[in-house]
Amino acid sequence: MDSRTTKRLPQFVLLLALLLAWGWNLRALAATDPKDEAAEDTAGFKEFMTHVKDYMHVHKSAESSLPALRPTDRPELILEHQQKLAQNIRKARPHARRGDLFTHHAREAFRHAIYTEFHGPPAPHAKATLKQGDPLPEVHLRVNQEYPKTAPFTTVPPTLLLKFPKLPDELTYRIVGHDLVLYDVKANLAVDALRGVIP
Amino acid sequence: MMSRRCLLFLSLLFFLGSNLWGDEFKFPLKSGSVRFAVIGDMGTGASEQYQVAQRMAEVHQRFPFDFVIMLGDNIYGGKRPSDFEKKFETPYKSLLDGGVKFYASLGNHDSPNERFYKLFNMNGANYYSFKKGNTRFIALDSNYLDPKQLSWLQSQLQNEGSGEWKICYFHHPLYSSARAHGPSTDLRLLLEPLFTRYGVDVVFSGHEHVYERIRPQKNVYYFIEGASGQLRLGNLKKDDITEKGFDSDRSFILVEIVGDQMYFETVSRAGDTVDAGVIHRPVPQKTAVAAAGDLSSALMVGMKVSWSAAPIVL
Repeated sequence: MDSRTTKRLPQFVLLLALLLAWGWNLRALAATDPKDEAAEDTAGFKEFMTHVKDYMHVHKSAESSLPALRPTDRPELILEHQQKLAQNIRKARPHARRGDLFTHHAREAFRHAIYTEFHGPPAPHAKATLKQGDPLPEVHLRVNQEYPKTAPFTTVPPTLLLKFPKLPDELTYRIVGHDLVLYDVKANLAVDALRGVIP
Repeated sequence: MMSRRCLLFLSLLFFLGSNLWGDEFKFPLKSGSVRFAVIGDMGTGASEQYQVAQRMAEVHQRFPFDFVIMLGDNIYGGKRPSDFEKKFETPYKSLLDGGVKFYASLGNHDSPNERFYKLFNMNGANYYSFKKGNTRFIALDSNYLDPKQLSWLQSQLQNEGSGEWKICYFHHPLYSSARAHGPSTDLRLLLEPLFTRYGVDVVFSGHEHVYERIRPQKNVYYFIEGASGQLRLGNLKKDDITEKGFDSDRSFILVEIVGDQMYFETVSRAGDTVDAGVIHRPVPQKTAVAAAGDLSSALMVGMKVSWSAAPIVL
């Protein structure tokens, strides 16, 4: 490399950075039309709910082979049901991985809802709720992994839940550290996870 | 000389007697009244939980409450069958054997599947309600207050007559002066409008490992009892909303509802009364309190005061 090229290198890098930033801004501007965003979110959530419905077939099928779980004074029966259900679900979806339910479009919709929550009027309350509930910053749940038995649950800000699609009773959204986790309650199992979306 | 000594002795006896028994708070123990105890954040399995449970069993002899409401963190740590035994069945054995029922709500340390544990009387639901006498009890799951639970709560409150007491209980407090967590303002945003609109009278919560009675907020009375097993010593930073606080030992609350009056007493692990009073349920919408030792809040909301402070003996 001759000395002339070396001298011009910083200018070239600066120009490239400016072009990239300009392009990025144009993209961002194009995407910030509220109508488009709302439509994209609706489509993303719809896609997500289709996958939730598919998962529920798996859950129901996995549970159908087990004796119905009714209130009992024998905790071992509750634990046994939980463990066998988790086992059956794992068997039914051995290749399950992150993104099966939180697909690309779904992820964008959830990210947008979370961003709105934590940067809008409810932000101070929502942030306080997270801090209040003994958060678990270092934990990342893998798909098909059980929720750690001794770990507390972080309260999911109820104003955030108002922004998410409604789930069947068997599933809940959970916040684990900075991740949003789709959680199978009876099986105590992570169904899918969205990493690093919670501030 | 003898007669003067005798007079002095008699005066002393009279003075002691009037102080010990004259202004005592006593539960009415009326037939048909609603009698219960309140515990929160108790399921540690440690000796302090056992000591509180023992004190509850002793008190039960004199104040036979029919049931206990649990404000969450019922089973800390592991959830093996042996944990249920160590952290619930054994400490409360004498009460359970005596037919006392326990109605749990879920805390952040509880497994959601505790709702299937029969002795918690949740009947498989993480939120539910039940009625005792003239009182509707509503147990909420404050870990996960989704729109479905909110609309269920609204329908429960709508369907209840205005002549009934409405008591809600759940883990996370809407108001708190404790340093560890503070109030759940996000929950408050959604729950308080329902409580005030539909005339909820009293709310019990845990999570903070102290006892605190909050001044009535929008005519709703809030108690925190999160020290029936756990304790955060000296954690209360009493402020304007604090009516009474206790953070130097474990505690539990006793309640008796007779007509439009709710008598309450908070008892420490050592058996001392740390707070007591009576809440008068005004007709038709307002709720107010006459508290032992501090009448200011009661006067502020224009209530009738039924008696003044005194040591309470059951």
